[in-house]
Amino acid sequence: MTTRRSGTLPTTIRSSRQGVRCGAVRAVPGSDPARRGWGALLIVASLFGAACAGPKTTPLELFELTPESAANKAMQTRQFETPSSDELLSASAAVLQDLGFQVTESDRDVGFLRAAKERSAREYGQEIRRDIVAFLTLMIGALGGTNTMYVAPVDLHQQINASLVAQPIQDDDERQNVRIVFYRLVWKGDGSSGNQSIPPGQQKMEMIRDAEIYQQFFARLSKAVFLEAHKI
Amino acid sequence: MPGKTFCLATLTLLVALGLGGCASPPKQPENLLAPTEEQMKIRNMQTRTFDVADRRVAMRGVIAALQDLGFIIERANEPLGLVTAARFAEPKYYDVVGVTVTVRSLNEKQTTIRANAIFNNEPITDPEVYRNFFATLERSLFIGRN
Repeated sequence: MTTRRSGTLPTTIRSSRQGVRCGAVRAVPGSDPARRGWGALLIVASLFGAACAGPKTTPLELFELTPESAANKAMQTRQFETPSSDELLSASAAVLQDLGFQVTESDRDVGFLRAAKERSAREYGQEIRRDIVAFLTLMIGALGGTNTMYVAPVDLHQQINASLVAQPIQDDDERQNVRIVFYRLVWKGDGSSGNQSIPPGQQKMEMIRDAEIYQQFFARLSKAVFLEAHKI
Repeated sequence: MPGKTFCLATLTLLVALGLGGCASPPKQPENLLAPTEEQMKIRNMQTRTFDVADRRVAMRGVIAALQDLGFIIERANEPLGLVTAARFAEPKYYDVVGVTVTVRSLNEKQTTIRANAIFNNEPITDPEVYRNFFATLERSLFIGRN
């Protein structure tokens, strides 16, 4: 696995929330039949794990509209009946502040805001799973006399980002369109695989597709400007 | 004596090699900043002119198109007509597409839009990619117009 430098959005390894959790369990196949059996099973398991990686996308696909684009647009956009986009923008900044964000960038003429906040990303469920997998792999290894304990790195720290644009609806200056997208960077802690330690700092990014979060944001924004937020 | 001559020869050789190292530094490649053939070709792919009179309207169209494509707007500057956006290949792994779009007025009736797209820090040279982008942009600019 390689780390990749990028001009603005830092990325290394990413996995999707919706994707399968691929726990690649590695083991040294033993020489006697019993250990070979376990070894084979674990190799097959890790192959399944590797297959979860999936094919890489090409830039061509990334510039095409997909069936989800319309659904995402509906989730992320609301319309307000006001001629003033400045007011909406400044109210959006206030709502983001209420939610604990720091506004990092803004442009008034285009109606653009960008904000970020950092939080702990530790999840109870993930830590339980890690402990179970560690225990099982430890036991399997103990049967064969080798150390095959796998401690998966779990999410440790996250940065949640928001990017918002408030602009008049085309050809209609009396109504404004507000579109916001939330996404997050997650850094994982350290782990170990057998005798080899996995250093901390592995990173993943994911778009936040939970409709609840967008609904909450627009509910607050609606209250802040005393206007109703219309869905598109 | 032969031994002494050999030593002298070796020493001379070493000194000559050493002095050879003091030669002038290697020549800089000429025209380091000049555009290459390939860059000129890419520029044509990346630029389009639209029949939009107002540059602000064009910018709004660009931003709406980028958001529809799932891009995250990173930077925007209206007076300069600059928008920078990026997108990850989700739900798959670690590919990042970045794009910088500049919107400039060509004359009273037209604006020129140029999109520089990079894929994992390398410029995208596939014309199909730019065609797809400009198709989406056109839809976004002229939606609601007949």
